[in-house]
Amino acid sequence: MAPSRGLLRLLTRPVSSNPNPGSRSMSLLRRAYTSFAEQLANPANRVQSYISHSRDPFVNLSIEDYILRTSPLDSTVLFLYTNRPCVVIGRNQNPWLEVNLGILQAANRQGKTANDTEPPGIGDVDLVRRRSGGGTVFHDEGNLNWSITCPRTEFTRDKHAEMVVRALRKVGVERARVNERHDIVLDQGHRRHPSDPQDTHQTAYTAEEGGPRPLKVSGSAYKLTRARALHHATTLLASPNLHTIPQYLHSPARNSIQAKGVESVSSPVGNIGLDVDKFQQRLQEEFTAMYAHQGKVPSVQMVGEEHLNIPAIRKGYEELKTDDWMWSQTPQFTLLLEDLFGTTIEINVHHGTIQTLETKCDRDLGDMLEELRTALVGEKLQDIGDWVQFLQSRIEPWHSDYEIVADRLEKFLPVPQFGRP
Amino acid sequence: MKTTMSREAARFLCRSAFPIARAGPRSRVQLDAVPKRGFSGTSRLKVLKPYILADIGEGITECQVIQWFVKPGARVEQFDPICEVQSDKASVEITSRFDGVIKKLYYEPDDMAKVGKPLVDIDIQSEISEADAVVLDGGAVKQADEAPNKQPEAKEQALEVDGNDSAAVTKDVPSQAAPSLPAEPAQEEGRPRKPPGKHASLATPAVRHMVKAASLNIEAIEGTGKDGRVLKEDVQRYVQSAKTAATTPPPSAAPAQRLEDRTQPLTPIQSAMFKKMSHSLSIPHFLYTDGVDFTSLNTIRKKYNAAREKSQRITTFPFILKAVSLALQQYPLMNARLDTQTNLGKPQLVYQGSHDIGIAVDSPSGLLVPVVRNVQSLSIEQIAAEITRLSELARTGKIGTEDLKNATITLSNIGSIGGGVVAPVIVSPQVAIVGIGRAKTVPAFGKDGELIKKEECMFSWSADHRIIDGATAARCAEVVKGYLEDVETMLIRLR
Repeated sequence: MAPSRGLLRLLTRPVSSNPNPGSRSMSLLRRAYTSFAEQLANPANRVQSYISHSRDPFVNLSIEDYILRTSPLDSTVLFLYTNRPCVVIGRNQNPWLEVNLGILQAANRQGKTANDTEPPGIGDVDLVRRRSGGGTVFHDEGNLNWSITCPRTEFTRDKHAEMVVRALRKVGVERARVNERHDIVLDQGHRRHPSDPQDTHQTAYTAEEGGPRPLKVSGSAYKLTRARALHHATTLLASPNLHTIPQYLHSPARNSIQAKGVESVSSPVGNIGLDVDKFQQRLQEEFTAMYAHQGKVPSVQMVGEEHLNIPAIRKGYEELKTDDWMWSQTPQFTLLLEDLFGTTIEINVHHGTIQTLETKCDRDLGDMLEELRTALVGEKLQDIGDWVQFLQSRIEPWHSDYEIVADRLEKFLPVPQFGRP
Repeated sequence: MKTTMSREAARFLCRSAFPIARAGPRSRVQLDAVPKRGFSGTSRLKVLKPYILADIGEGITECQVIQWFVKPGARVEQFDPICEVQSDKASVEITSRFDGVIKKLYYEPDDMAKVGKPLVDIDIQSEISEADAVVLDGGAVKQADEAPNKQPEAKEQALEVDGNDSAAVTKDVPSQAAPSLPAEPAQEEGRPRKPPGKHASLATPAVRHMVKAASLNIEAIEGTGKDGRVLKEDVQRYVQSAKTAATTPPPSAAPAQRLEDRTQPLTPIQSAMFKKMSHSLSIPHFLYTDGVDFTSLNTIRKKYNAAREKSQRITTFPFILKAVSLALQQYPLMNARLDTQTNLGKPQLVYQGSHDIGIAVDSPSGLLVPVVRNVQSLSIEQIAAEITRLSELARTGKIGTEDLKNATITLSNIGSIGGGVVAPVIVSPQVAIVGIGRAKTVPAFGKDGELIKKEECMFSWSADHRIIDGATAARCAEVVKGYLEDVETMLIRLR
């Protein structure tokens, strides 16, 4: 096979990297700015490839969105990034329903997970709402995120998942395949049976009915605009936190919230067992080979926090960090506080604001309901902070019954303050 | 205007990036009263239309509205985002196809919007300036009499849009109307009239008599005499030009009467072809044809293609190239080069190591034969990609000389146009060429003598009979046939 020109170029030209952006002079920074923005928007660059050295999920998602909106309409762009530990929910999801918000902050965790025999050791975990659809995932340094932006007319959900499976198979991960939901799974069957090696949708290890379920190693999400399509996905290569992920993604309120958004489909996950940097390289090669016919791939460029000086990226970054985006984008939902003084209190939340507070049956709760209404209706959840403190400041005279309500609310609707600058 | 509207309406309704499922029932266009005589400046349309939520693929029938970017009463321009919707894993931005004013939103945020049902009502208030009218209507000034002519044209364009959605989404207004435009103003303008002189109607009696005899209006004749007097020559000239003007329409009305001969030098491609094929005159061609059963090959192909989308699907051609390459390993004589130059008087054969197969491609400028190099080392998928690349280059006229020279054998897929048995002409210094006809479904007999359908394609091999005897050519052809009829046998030999 004749080596593709793009691949040779990749291997022979040293990859530029800026490990310490803080020490660069202004002129260098300006050059970094102009070269990324220019290169991205240049219509001659039909195939492009970027890697982020930033571990900040907000920076990476903003750069990704910038790529979606700025790259030329007929171009295909690969972007690879890894994040520090964080939980990322889909565009239209409900964080209270999907995430165990109470343990996100390390300080809170000591008390809440006393039963856990293993030390958490993760530190603070960020919470991020991304711009694409799909479910909730946990990111850490053992997880490689890849995103491909291509023309909408050429987009299919399987196309790039298959590309990644090909790259995996080339490094010996024979069990990888694309499943019906366009995710990448590792088949867990014990017996080998014949299978076409070129078929990325089946492997030789597919288990029979009742056999071990395949392990999900990559989940995808998409964002489609008029002319472009973004497909991004996680790849669990070597996460040290596999055993604790389920804790973060199990919300205590999952049986108490009725919501309209997209629910996550939960699957057992596993590590592929590859080195992140090495696989990153492999994926680059596979991408280059796949698009060799479309044009030369410019040498891989590094991006990161320094590109926040591009106004569009900074704007997106700021937006992702606002409380409004994080909390108030949640679609309408109802929280049910059951078995509370013999009745159920229903709290309806829309646009992140408490709309109504009702009881199922008209048990005489006396003034309590009215007091709660006055205190809470019209309040934005993101402004509440600690429920007990909040209610105490609003309701007089204080009653221990209110404390019970407040504790429930704290359990189901906590709003961790991330103190984002 | 009706014409613009129906065209706009058609595009509006058929917008879809994935031509999987069509949008639901077509809605009626409500027409407001249209002024009969438009000003040449602008013409306004008022069309209130429901904007249907187009199919977003994956068999999804409904999706959740996440946020609106517009409110009723908001002005939008083409490509402005209207809303964002989400379905399972995809969040999709819906943009407007038109300029206009949003009149009504059909859903609240968080509601489930149904695919194929209206999303918003939009009042298309595209103000068509003269420039737009010229492109869309082919002349705003002439609407009244041209409107009935344009109607069928608009309908046809609507049908075209139906058939090719993803292209329609990205293509602009068809430029077919544009070429008709430049002709009209030229005709309308005519010759610029000189202001009549002081004595424009003054003429000698002789001239007057001429004018009267010819039943002309003296004012219409340009006078070149003193102070604009009309002279005899002016009248004669006027009569002459009137005659020629009268005589030119008839030829166009009766074109069949006389066709002129046209002399033209050969285009570069034609002269290259002339030179090459003249060389080939000296080659005695041995023609060997046989039908190849494509049934099993097509089954395998369909299975492979089912999982891939359009740009990655493969045709039979890459398989044929690979089969020929494998056969050439067994019959290297077919891949040789006849060298009559090095040793004059003593022709010799150069057995070429690489299989550089030329594929004859029909391009807008004529026949081109780009070369797929080293087919013996390429996989079928790679061959397919290479064929696509070369065809694209050839079609757009961007192919370089490097890609066109030194083929060791040629394959001509004339079957893409048609044909059964063909007698392809060998391109020297090659010694063989294969012409592939069109695959046809023919009746045949199965194992037990029952009547079955089979897809047969005629392969026509031409070999240089000075070098290659009939038996060798026949055996090579049979080997290729065997590989294509039983693709598994190719696997054993595949490198």
